[in-house]
Amino acid sequence: MKIVVPVKQVAALDDDFELLDDGSGVDPDFLERDLNEWDAFSLEAALQLREAAEGGGEVVVLTVGDEGSEEALLGCLARGADRALRVWSDECRDADPLAVARVLAAAAEREEPDLVLCGVQSSDAVNGATGVALAGYLELPHVAVVKQIEYVAAESTATVKRELEGGLVEVLRVRTPALLTIQTGINEPRYANLRAIKQAREKPLEVSTPEQIGLKAEALAAAAGSRRRRLRPPERGAGAEMLAGSPADVATRIVEIVRERMA
Amino acid sequence: MSDVLVVAETRRGELREVSLELLAAALGVKNAFGGRLLVAVLDHQPERFVPALSVDGVDELLLVSTPTEHFEAHVSQRALEELIEAERPGLVLLGHTIDSLGYGPAVAAHRGLGFASDVTSLAWEDGPLAGRGAYGDKLVAELEFPGKDCTLLLVRQGTFEPVSAGPGSAPNRTVELALDGVAATEHMSFEEVQDSGVDITKAPFLVSIGRGVEDRDEIPRFEALAERLGATLSVSRPLVDAGWMPNARQVGQSGKTVKPRVYLALGISGAVQHLAGMRTAETIIAVNTDPEAPIFGVAHYGVVADLFEIADELEQVLD
Amino acid sequence: MPRDPKYDILFEPIQLGPKTLKNRFYQVPHCIGAGSERPGFQAYHRGIKAEGGWGACCTEYCSIHPESDDTSRVSARIWDEGDVRNLAAMCDRLHEFGALAGIELWYGGPHAPCMESRATPRGPSQIASDFELNIFPRYMDRDDIETVQQMYVDAALRARDAGFDIIYVYGAHAYLPFQFLSPFYNRRTDEYGGSFENRARFWRESLYKVREAVGDDCAIASRFAVDHLLGPASIQVGEDGIRFVEHCNDLVDLWDFTVGDIAEWGQNAGPSRFFEENHEKPFTGQVKAGNHTDKAVVGVGRITNPDTMVAIINSGQYDIIGAARPSISDPFLPQKIDEGRLEDIRECIGCNQCISRWEIGGPPMVCTQNATAGEEYRRGWHPEKFHPATNRDKGVLVVGAGPAGMECAMVLGKREMSAVHLVEGAKEIGGSVNWISKLGHSDGKENLFRGTARGLGEWSRIVNYRQIQLDKLGNVEVHLNSRLSAEEVLDYGAEIVIVATGCHYATDGLNAATHAPIPGADTALDWQLTPDQVVAGVKQIGKRVLVLENEGYFMGASVAQKLAGAGHEVQLVTQAGDIAGYMEYTLEAPMLHRDLHRLGVGIHTYTMLERIEPGVCHAYNVWNPAHKEQLEVDTVVLCTARLSDDELYRELKSDPARLAQEGIEAVYVIGDASAPRMIVDSVFDGHRLAREIDSPHPEMPLPFIRERRLWGDTTNEDYRTQLLNTVDVA
Repeated sequence: MKIVVPVKQVAALDDDFELLDDGSGVDPDFLERDLNEWDAFSLEAALQLREAAEGGGEVVVLTVGDEGSEEALLGCLARGADRALRVWSDECRDADPLAVARVLAAAAEREEPDLVLCGVQSSDAVNGATGVALAGYLELPHVAVVKQIEYVAAESTATVKRELEGGLVEVLRVRTPALLTIQTGINEPRYANLRAIKQAREKPLEVSTPEQIGLKAEALAAAAGSRRRRLRPPERGAGAEMLAGSPADVATRIVEIVRERMA
Repeated sequence: MSDVLVVAETRRGELREVSLELLAAALGVKNAFGGRLLVAVLDHQPERFVPALSVDGVDELLLVSTPTEHFEAHVSQRALEELIEAERPGLVLLGHTIDSLGYGPAVAAHRGLGFASDVTSLAWEDGPLAGRGAYGDKLVAELEFPGKDCTLLLVRQGTFEPVSAGPGSAPNRTVELALDGVAATEHMSFEEVQDSGVDITKAPFLVSIGRGVEDRDEIPRFEALAERLGATLSVSRPLVDAGWMPNARQVGQSGKTVKPRVYLALGISGAVQHLAGMRTAETIIAVNTDPEAPIFGVAHYGVVADLFEIADELEQVLD
Repeated sequence: MPRDPKYDILFEPIQLGPKTLKNRFYQVPHCIGAGSERPGFQAYHRGIKAEGGWGACCTEYCSIHPESDDTSRVSARIWDEGDVRNLAAMCDRLHEFGALAGIELWYGGPHAPCMESRATPRGPSQIASDFELNIFPRYMDRDDIETVQQMYVDAALRARDAGFDIIYVYGAHAYLPFQFLSPFYNRRTDEYGGSFENRARFWRESLYKVREAVGDDCAIASRFAVDHLLGPASIQVGEDGIRFVEHCNDLVDLWDFTVGDIAEWGQNAGPSRFFEENHEKPFTGQVKAGNHTDKAVVGVGRITNPDTMVAIINSGQYDIIGAARPSISDPFLPQKIDEGRLEDIRECIGCNQCISRWEIGGPPMVCTQNATAGEEYRRGWHPEKFHPATNRDKGVLVVGAGPAGMECAMVLGKREMSAVHLVEGAKEIGGSVNWISKLGHSDGKENLFRGTARGLGEWSRIVNYRQIQLDKLGNVEVHLNSRLSAEEVLDYGAEIVIVATGCHYATDGLNAATHAPIPGADTALDWQLTPDQVVAGVKQIGKRVLVLENEGYFMGASVAQKLAGAGHEVQLVTQAGDIAGYMEYTLEAPMLHRDLHRLGVGIHTYTMLERIEPGVCHAYNVWNPAHKEQLEVDTVVLCTARLSDDELYRELKSDPARLAQEGIEAVYVIGDASAPRMIVDSVFDGHRLAREIDSPHPEMPLPFIRERRLWGDTTNEDYRTQLLNTVDVA
């Protein structure tokens, strides 16, 4: 079986950071890069499915990212992915989730996977949208926020558990090929030992532009769902609204606020 | 000004609260810029939600009967795509919820819409302008949607004060769509999960106690209080340092980073290390005897008082 | 990140008489084992703090004359020109970084046994020391008083020449000036005894004379215990404490407030298991805040939190944040606050290992949190600077993330090794600290004299600091829940393997007293436990518990506290003459004894177990084995001995050919896996190996500089100078 795993090298903001002068983004010096936490789980799910598959299979990791994001791909290869593809051009620099999904779709189409496993969301952008948007482009059946997978190759189905709000879980069966977005905690991601990390450099890591995988610049531009006008610090009120009154009044008000917010 | 289409969200026969928040957001846009407000109900029996969604200002309810009893992503996707095709709204609002995240982005991708998720503010300048958090809400990104006739936004829950549910007097219309055979998944069952292990990072409501508690014997009392409030108990570092509570409960730099909907801090002064772990909570309520306590710098609501007095009264209120 | 403006007040200069302190960070006098005889140690240890931003650093207590000789404990001394030369090195080092140098002039009276000088100490009354064994002072007549006061003046002049900026007349910890002030020591009937003014006279005159001699050039300070904690028998803050401050306020530029005395100075240097941050506030906080002095005030309280520091200054408790232990644990604490790097602060855990070495008398100071403490000169270690290793291309696998493994991986990371993997079998890093920090008990309620039983929770700071540092190091990966077999280690792909797998408690009662297991001892039984099993809560513990303590440090007593605190009837048995002997050195013993007594723990010293049977332990007196005793108990906890978990290390070493075949160039063992020891020594072991990972033989420590006089050296000239000066004074 073949499983495609789109991943992302995320950027976490240092406590101390600066914006670019034009407000269009964060000065990259203040970003710490790492493999998106969710993607460690989707990769592990893919590796486990490959290991369980009769006749083996292949796990292909994809990313839309600059050269720096090869570190994340190498990490995936070290953990056991078979090969990697990185797609990048300057047009991808500020790509929104739809544009990223469009590029991933072009790459994934070539692979004809049995399953596409994405992370639910990325820890930096927290869109939660790229995976399902990719399913939209690929016109694949899809299930979001999956925390358990039982894949039945012979029937071309997977029985999955989907995590809903408030501790509710839905069990459902999905036709495959399908795209699943994977929730953290579904498994315990393995790590790569030093030998595997060294050997990862010997595995295939292909680098392409969107053009090279058949996606024209105009199509990519048209796919974008939004454009960022600027980044700004959040408005934090001028400190707390102070609740006055007797302890009894204050306690009543606290309970009211809690009930409002938790409703 | 074009129309706004809100997709109400239902689960197991109940209207979800986020639907009324979306109506509030949509009414804000409509009242400022005109256009019609349409509300779509995609449900096995959509008519049962007519009364609750008949809110003043809603121009029409579009009732779409789904062949599946429960939410099915592909059915919702097809239904919404057809409604957009038929109604041509300029703005479509969904909740940033697990169900809507399961099909909204696919709709946007498939139809080439303007799109943003986890939206926390909404404005209009010749078209929608959306704000959303970036980098763990340390920043806000302002998004525009140039060249898009229709924009689909997933709105963060709790961002807008929900409107009161009807009954009002909204007209409604049944929309027949060909949805048979669209489903790609088959519902098997629901399971209720009882999580025995404590994971404060996942708790939507934390009651957090700190140094102000002073006495180990008081901890069970706060555990009970948290439970009665429907919250999980977390602590600041001094209580872990003292060995009174396990590390798993600690909020802060050396503990867990949490982002609950409500964070009620009792007797926590707010050392920087602590603030780093909780400052992005959606609503922070702080009780402390020291009016200068740093926690008030990040709190939304502050109370200068002894935490035990407040705890006494909270217990009274709950009785 | 720039400094948070709320901490600006900590960086405001303040005037101390003729000197300006550049900020509010002040290393109060504290012992390190350097004195005047290890000038390199002295200069570089204090100097590293000046580099780290402390506005002033002081010597330890500094003897003014051979009559005040604390041998074998190491004090500084300023007896002669040789001492001036050695201490000048410290002053120069401090001045390089813009810090002031302080010296604490000390005359101990009966608390100085004079075992090297063989002089006779003088005191206000002829009462033996309550701290030393059988040391009586000579009663001081008027001439003696003048002679000793002249010793202070001569020492002050020498101190000024050495370059000191702040000169103390040290009276805290119940040394001579305080002995005059306190009726507990002073039973005189002349003009130096009786009334308050008479008892204060010696101290006031001494301050006056020192100020006359050097007050134009140097700031005059006095360290004063505002409350002796003995009630009406001695100085109480609300009585003579505040009265004395007002009485001598005109003669000082800086007050340095403490509480207690030397006999139980753990009340001042409070261990974390009994005292929280800023614990002296109820006493020392009354003076400045009550407007009883307009002079600058410094005080301590193991203060590591910058918010506490700001609150202390804003509340009027102190003007200057004093620190001894926090400055040892993190010499760069001020700089880290200034740079907004609060998460990098290595907070003191209050274990008092630093103090223990001074109490033992002779060894250099150590620190559990800061392995470089005391090593600044002799090993050239800097707490914040690390040289890139010359073999940094090597991949390193550290197996086990306890104190040694965490420290080793962290330092290797800071030394820019290309890849360091720290692999831990448990679900979190920390090793034994994770369960040890749950020891003791903390009811937070009962007041024991002054402190409160708090347990060992703050020891978890050992883990917290390293966790934060490890998270920051891009070249270090930490992998949890992964217990590696020898085969997995061989296959790991590391060139250097470091085994830090810890140790375990003997399950059969093997102990250092009899060098044999105890018949009947078996912690596989459901009614016998090792201490870690007690914390893990894996077995039901009966009403009556016997804890056997053969280690001599905290374990047995802490288990007894924990169980007694939970309502069990506990008997604590040791072969030694006292339980937890080492806790005398860490100053934890007095409070521990109070707590054990309060909890009703039965203590059996000089007692060992002959055999253990269900329901009964057969004990005997170690001096008379024929004297037997039967102790009826339901549960037995064996804190007898620890054994290294070194199977992995032994297995790896057993096949050199395979190691070579796998490309493993070296296998080292550190921490408890090498030999069970105290946490402070395990951390050091891990640090040491990482510092020397690129030395010719990393398994063997490099030699360190020994500060000693070499025979035939030119310092013979110094001997003559010293001799002449000593004669002059006498």
